[in-house]
Amino acid sequence: MRESSARRATVLAVSSLSLASCSGVQSALDPAGEEAVQVAALFWVMTIGGLLIWSLVVVLSLYASRWKGRPTSETSAGKLIFWGGVVFPVAVLTALLSYALWLMPSLRPFAGGEQASLRVEVVGHQFWWRVVYHLPDRTAVVSANEIRLPVGQRVEFELTSADMIHSFWIPVLGGKMDLIPGRTNRVSLSATKVGTYRGQCAEFCGTSHARMAFPAVVMKQADFDAWLDSRSRVSVGLAMNPDGRALFKRAGCGDCHGVDARETTSGKGPDLSHVGSRLTIGAGFLPNEIDALARFIAHPGSVKPGALMPASTDLSADEIDQIATWLKGLQ
Amino acid sequence: MSDAPTLTPEKRAEEEQLRAVWANPSGWRYWTSVNNSQVGLWYGSTAFAFMLFAGLLALLVRAQLAVPENDLISAELYNQAYTLHGTVMMFLFAVPIFEAVAIFLLPPMLGARDMPFPRLGAFGFWSFLIGGVFVCGSIFFGAAPNSGWFMYPPLATSEQAGIGADIWLLGLSFIEVASLAAAVELIVGIMKCRAPGMRVNLMPLFAWYLLIVAGMIVFAFPPLIAGDLLFEMQRMFDWPFFDPERGGDPLLWQHLFWIFGHPEVYIIFLPAIALLAMIIPTFSGRPIIGYSWIVLAAVGTGFLSFGLWVHHMFATGLPQISLAFFSAASEAVAIPTAVQIFVFIATMLAGRVIFSTPMLFAMGGIAIFVMGGLTGVMVALAPFDWQAHDTYFIVAHLHYVLIGGMLFPVFAGLYYYYPLIDGRHMSDKVGRFAFWMMFCGFNITFFPMHLAGLRGMPRRVYTYPADIGWDWFNLISTMGAVVLGIGMFAVVVDVTLHRRRQPKGEVNPWKAGTLEWISEPEENWGVRSIPHIESRYPLWDHASLAREVKAGEWYLADASEGRRETLVTSVLDAEPEQVLRVSGTSYMTIVSAVTLGTVFVALTFKWWIVSLLSGLAFIAAVLYWLWTGTGEIPEKDEKDIGRGIRLPLYSSGVKSAGWWAMFITMTGDGTACASLVFGYFFFWTIHEDFTGGLTGPGVLWPMMALALFVLAWAATVVAREVNRRGGKTAARMLLGLGGVLSAAGCAAALAGPWTTGMYPTAHVYPAIVWILVIWAAVHGALGIIMQLYCLARSYAGRLTPRYDMELHNVVLYWHFMLVTALITFSVVGLFPEAI
Amino acid sequence: MWRVLPKEIESLWTLFTAPVVWALHFLACYVGAAIFCEKPSFLGSDFDNLRIAVASITVVALAMIVVSALLAYRQWGFGTGDPPHDEPTHRDRALFQGYATLLLSGLSFVAVIFTALPALFVTECLR
Repeated sequence: MRESSARRATVLAVSSLSLASCSGVQSALDPAGEEAVQVAALFWVMTIGGLLIWSLVVVLSLYASRWKGRPTSETSAGKLIFWGGVVFPVAVLTALLSYALWLMPSLRPFAGGEQASLRVEVVGHQFWWRVVYHLPDRTAVVSANEIRLPVGQRVEFELTSADMIHSFWIPVLGGKMDLIPGRTNRVSLSATKVGTYRGQCAEFCGTSHARMAFPAVVMKQADFDAWLDSRSRVSVGLAMNPDGRALFKRAGCGDCHGVDARETTSGKGPDLSHVGSRLTIGAGFLPNEIDALARFIAHPGSVKPGALMPASTDLSADEIDQIATWLKGLQ
Repeated sequence: MSDAPTLTPEKRAEEEQLRAVWANPSGWRYWTSVNNSQVGLWYGSTAFAFMLFAGLLALLVRAQLAVPENDLISAELYNQAYTLHGTVMMFLFAVPIFEAVAIFLLPPMLGARDMPFPRLGAFGFWSFLIGGVFVCGSIFFGAAPNSGWFMYPPLATSEQAGIGADIWLLGLSFIEVASLAAAVELIVGIMKCRAPGMRVNLMPLFAWYLLIVAGMIVFAFPPLIAGDLLFEMQRMFDWPFFDPERGGDPLLWQHLFWIFGHPEVYIIFLPAIALLAMIIPTFSGRPIIGYSWIVLAAVGTGFLSFGLWVHHMFATGLPQISLAFFSAASEAVAIPTAVQIFVFIATMLAGRVIFSTPMLFAMGGIAIFVMGGLTGVMVALAPFDWQAHDTYFIVAHLHYVLIGGMLFPVFAGLYYYYPLIDGRHMSDKVGRFAFWMMFCGFNITFFPMHLAGLRGMPRRVYTYPADIGWDWFNLISTMGAVVLGIGMFAVVVDVTLHRRRQPKGEVNPWKAGTLEWISEPEENWGVRSIPHIESRYPLWDHASLAREVKAGEWYLADASEGRRETLVTSVLDAEPEQVLRVSGTSYMTIVSAVTLGTVFVALTFKWWIVSLLSGLAFIAAVLYWLWTGTGEIPEKDEKDIGRGIRLPLYSSGVKSAGWWAMFITMTGDGTACASLVFGYFFFWTIHEDFTGGLTGPGVLWPMMALALFVLAWAATVVAREVNRRGGKTAARMLLGLGGVLSAAGCAAALAGPWTTGMYPTAHVYPAIVWILVIWAAVHGALGIIMQLYCLARSYAGRLTPRYDMELHNVVLYWHFMLVTALITFSVVGLFPEAI
Repeated sequence: MWRVLPKEIESLWTLFTAPVVWALHFLACYVGAAIFCEKPSFLGSDFDNLRIAVASITVVALAMIVVSALLAYRQWGFGTGDPPHDEPTHRDRALFQGYATLLLSGLSFVAVIFTALPALFVTECLR
């Protein structure tokens, strides 16, 4: 009795662990988008089927090697090769392949300009994301290192790269698509659940590839419209803290980083318009706090090895703090 | 030793002489041996050593990933560690280990005395050792490659990749040469050097598998060599093959790499499964059921594996119809794979299974491999792969198929075949301990990675945040890695320490039925005499065979001319055709490997003069090797091999082993050329106007070059015919003329892009045209060397109207050169201009 | 028909006939689709033409494989000798070849159909 209840407890623990272990802000098994939902379903079907097939093969092998009594006849054994090794796989694979081929076109429909309500341009850099929201009225909102989407809308992403091959991936919403220099790839995603998720670069792009991620926030349509509207205008924090702002200019930060919500021509570094209200700093892995900002500004290479941003050797800790404070104020 | 024969004095003397002819030199000259037993052992030990090195790198990686935000090692060191782990495992262990096993095992298995070109195999080993040490050593200087084992541009062609990228490229190109040499040997050995009577339907399945694998190598490695050439030209001279700003495309590398990369994993998998095809019948106590099914599976997998490569590129944005074709083929390849598994189950079902240590590793390997195969079926579907690609799910999948489908079978083979190495046995106790540690450790390490990957953890990350939910997966994986490592370490201890204290035991403790089990580990001659085979399991069906062979009652029992000899037989029915004299010891293998290695190492550091001089030394070494060691005119026409059969000692043309070697090598060479031409058409496909508005090489010079090469080819062919009919002087003149025409052809080839002012650094179009004509010109130059070689041989009396194998082989080369010239010059001269 | 084709096939190369047909079919489909989708000016832009082309070469490939299968069946003595073909005779060697070639024809047949399936489901050059 004790043995079976111990076994029951183990099964319960394992299954709840596995179920719990599927959720997460970056989990493809906790889908929040149309493509991810379909693929997760496909995954579960294949996994259950796969585990069954694997168990069958293992049990057969054990039977053949240990458990059987007498050797089987050669003809029966030969028949097993045909039925188990040919007929069964052909049947299963044909069904599986047909299903996946049937699914493919609908998963990634080519969202032409007229179909997609929103077009987001993402440019991959080492090790940050340039994000530009292109509105139907031809205006653009420049941002970096964060993606925001309205729920229930098909959003088209236009993906290019400024240097190496990167890959754009928000697991809860859908599969990934590479950012390849010299090519423009397109993928469309349609979120189904409001929430804050996480995406990450999924193609090795250099030393700090592990540090190239971004929050992906899915909002209600009205909230998104409001957010986009505020981001299309200059931040009120721009005028506050003039010392910090002056230092920012004097240290040459503006050469690479835009701050006034316009589409800057430089683009050498992430656009910092409204950076204060972003969820993270440094492309998805540092908290958006003044001391984190200050640490990054002082020595980006220690936080993000291989980052192209130079260290601020000619600024004092105090000055860096002031810049950080001013940046945090750009809400 | 129940089959120790009683010998007459004559037989004893004959045996002594045979032993003396096959004896290894003593002292440090032992290293000049080219015998398959030594070379196979060195090759295998070296590959194992590299594997352990890569395993330590893996432990380093797992240590860093054990906890989130770990700072055990820097990001840069981590990236070098994981890159080198993959590179060493794939290039310095997985492929070389089966080459080692084949070189060691195939001759006794097929009833041959040695491989057909022993020095080629030895050269392959020394190249492998030099290249491998060069690549592995880089990490101790912080100069290891750091952009992943498949080194995608533009990252890998940038300065960020450091000298590590060049080390990767050049070190590996060198080793690929060794692999091609091994492929040549294997094909000729399996097709032509089997024991008489060993028809293709009686051939051991290990040989069938390795024949297919060798064929795959001939077609799979050259695209990588071509890609390596383009890659290194970009790194060294800024030729923009992968630079989109000048018309290049990083995707070309991905295509070329994966056209190699996918067959490569089957090249790794099939020989390991081949070991299981030998092991399972032995421990089921019966012949395999489904011999023909295995042949189907091997050939089917071999072919289908070439149609899968884009499944590594599902996320690159190619059209869905293209991706769909590759999903379809990727699913199809599961069918022959499943057939093999069911053949093994069927054989066990119809037999009585003994669960020896080799069998334990075999079954454990199958269990792991099937899991990996099933996840492979999953990721073959593009929609699922869009989520799983480049995540730890793929890391899990690849380790399940590689470790289950290759490492465990190799360990099974180690425990199974160890008695053939020196008559001792591995320890069953240690073996079982090692197996359970490895099996459990492996699953604990890699199973959680499936979940980590789908939970969003990408590959190749030196650290990860603490709050995402990957912490436990990684910690458990690291603990599992330690357990796996302990298991492997136990095997190392067993091999190095334990066996020395053991007494020698039975050579065939498993009572296996295939021919390799009559080999005598303390003798170097392969087999005492070469038997006539009448069964798939000769030791089971012909009880007195071992005794007869050891008593010298079969073919080639003597070495009365003092030479090492083996038999050449026909392809389908193994009818005896020729006695092949193979080489004994040689320094030239080492000299050639060192000079060629120096070329590659010097190129890495851009020491151009050293490289050039070494290259010339290499050519000289090879010419010396060929001159002194090949095409030897025998002292008599025929030799009596026993039982009333007399066979020729020399053949030229289609029947000769050297002709086959040239054919196979040139097929590989042609595949590399085809890959470059593929690059040319790839750029045409992806661009509106791939010439970038620049001028081409014109029509005149390419057509001139083609015409000159056609004439050079014709001169060479006629020279062979004229020589055969006794016209030695005329033949020599034709060879000389052929050389001059070829030189003119090379000049004309280069004149095309030169005179029209094509600058290879300006745009990809001039670059690809230059690469194609340079390739043709280099091959033309090689053709000249060959023509002059024949000329010299003729003058020296070593090439006569009767003994003319060099001429046949050179004419064969020129046939391929003709095709190369035809394709190259038509393409660059007429396309797209003439369209 | 039997007179046009060789009486006896004494070569190992015939083992590979059906897989080679598969390989050529696969190449034609892939290269054709790649060029079609990348260069609409070259091969036109009506995707249905591509599907018809794939279907046509599939029919041709399947027919070739069937012929190869029939020849293999003949070499196998029209099914007279069941495996294992492990006698040391010329006859068993030929039977083995025929049987193995027949099996490979079956696999190649299935593989060609698998390769052609995408043309059934995919309706445009999507990205």
